[in-house]
Amino acid sequence: MAFDLFDPASWPTRRDEDWKYSDLSRSLREAPQPSHLTHIQAQVADFNGFYWHCAGDGQLAGLQEAVRQARGRLYLDMGDFGLEDGVSGYQGEGRIALAEGESLILLEDYTGAFDYAAHTTLHFDLAKGAHLTRVVILDEPETAVSVRQSYVTTAPDSVYKQYVFATGAKFQRFESHVDHAGHGAEVEMHGAYLLKDQAHFDYTTRVRHADINGTTQQLIKGLTKDRATAVFQGRILVERGADGTDARMHHQALMLNDGARVRAKPELEIYADDVQCAHGNTVGALDEAALFFCQSRGMDEATARALLMQAFVVPVAEQIADEVVRDMVLNWLEHKAGGFYGL
Amino acid sequence: MLNIENLTVAVEDKTILKGLTLNVPAGEVHAIMGPNGAGKSTLGYTLAGRPNYEVSEGSATLNGEDLLAMEVHERASAGLYLSFQYPLEIPGVPAMTFIRTALNAQRKLRGEDEVGAPQFLKDIREIAKTLKIDTEMLKRPLNVGFSGGEKKRMEVLQMALLKPKFLILDETDSGLDIDALKVVSEGVNALRSPERGMLVITHYQRLLDHIKPDRIHILVDGRIVHSGGPELALELEAHGYDRYVNEAA
Repeated sequence: MAFDLFDPASWPTRRDEDWKYSDLSRSLREAPQPSHLTHIQAQVADFNGFYWHCAGDGQLAGLQEAVRQARGRLYLDMGDFGLEDGVSGYQGEGRIALAEGESLILLEDYTGAFDYAAHTTLHFDLAKGAHLTRVVILDEPETAVSVRQSYVTTAPDSVYKQYVFATGAKFQRFESHVDHAGHGAEVEMHGAYLLKDQAHFDYTTRVRHADINGTTQQLIKGLTKDRATAVFQGRILVERGADGTDARMHHQALMLNDGARVRAKPELEIYADDVQCAHGNTVGALDEAALFFCQSRGMDEATARALLMQAFVVPVAEQIADEVVRDMVLNWLEHKAGGFYGL
Repeated sequence: MLNIENLTVAVEDKTILKGLTLNVPAGEVHAIMGPNGAGKSTLGYTLAGRPNYEVSEGSATLNGEDLLAMEVHERASAGLYLSFQYPLEIPGVPAMTFIRTALNAQRKLRGEDEVGAPQFLKDIREIAKTLKIDTEMLKRPLNVGFSGGEKKRMEVLQMALLKPKFLILDETDSGLDIDALKVVSEGVNALRSPERGMLVITHYQRLLDHIKPDRIHILVDGRIVHSGGPELALELEAHGYDRYVNEAA
């Protein structure tokens, strides 16, 4: 649901079904102060070596122009910074439309420092045969409150892929709504999370198959440690007549200790007859036998745990087709997994 | 080299090893044979430090160092290598990454320099070739979807790279066809040296045709009940363990 960050009366509450496990008003008690410190750069990225040139106007509204200059690869670098007294807030909205057959790799990097609240909304409109791959890194401070919403419309034969990698925050929610056009259109919405301490991460996805012959694939893998909480809410709605739909949703989580939490709500709502839909959801613990095997070969416990943790989430990143972006994400995951055990 | 005295071990409150004593000098290969449930694998796991294996009595030292006082990874760095009967699958970790992480962790603990990627690649390719392991396989997650023979060849590859002082081979022949058994045995034999000791745990005499032991010990109900030369294996193959089981009872 849309809401105004600066108007607490409009905030979603736990009485809203989709916000049952993530309580915004508990993390953000009052409206934040509008921020002047938000840093937004849309950069045309030559990922090969990461040289880039600034091409945006510093606002999310300028995204379409940045895409025009980007020649298929855009790096969106967004950092929020808190004020010394009180919580600062940023709210922004942007739109990217891809023309027929156009393709784009969008790397979104959300970072920041101190106490801030951010609410960003991105709209993506894909024309026939357009290809969009979003790789999102949510590497925010533990004091942050952040809600990232996106609304996607697809057209026949278009491809929409999103990969979200998150370490959580005081409150962190990534929400995607996709209108699936079917007719050969493909949607993939994957994700991986590594949460520790008090971190909260909520990954909510909504896909609506409105027409025939569309596919949706999801693989979400994550870990929670300490007192961290992960929420995964995935809903795939297949409308009457959307025959030939093929939808698969898988969520696999590891809880590394008692006290860590994982809340999963996978939903398939099917009104068509001739469809293939599947979902799987597993929550377990780290494999102690594998841990012993690693240690018996000489790895200390921290190294072995970090290696196995990283190995658990790596399959998500390995699906990224672009080699440079994939390697960047793999390095980031290795660094974050090591950080869990002070490496 | 390896000295075990009066080792008594319980797993989940059940005593499995009941005062086991065994000495394997450097340069020798000893075999442990015995019926199911005698405690063969428990011995290997206890020496390697598997959690929940409770030692209530006895000692185990490697070159005078107290193994039982060490953490699992410290035992590896001290030179102990347990080759698993069922090597574990490690999804998401390429074999090469796994081995290099293990090698450098051991070297770090011993105060040695890490092995750089180029040298490591050179070493691993060379050894993989002798074990008939395809280089592509080294990029795949360790043991995931590997056949029994491939897993055991991976175990030998790790031994050859980690260069342990003492090897325990737990039922290394299980799951191997005759060709794989030959390749694996040749790999193990190549590691025999005057400075290195080996303990071969096996059910059948078959493996000992390929890895010839200096001594054979018969383990029944948690104790070594008989020791002898290589000829003992043939006798066991002909008459079985019954005689020793009845004596122990």
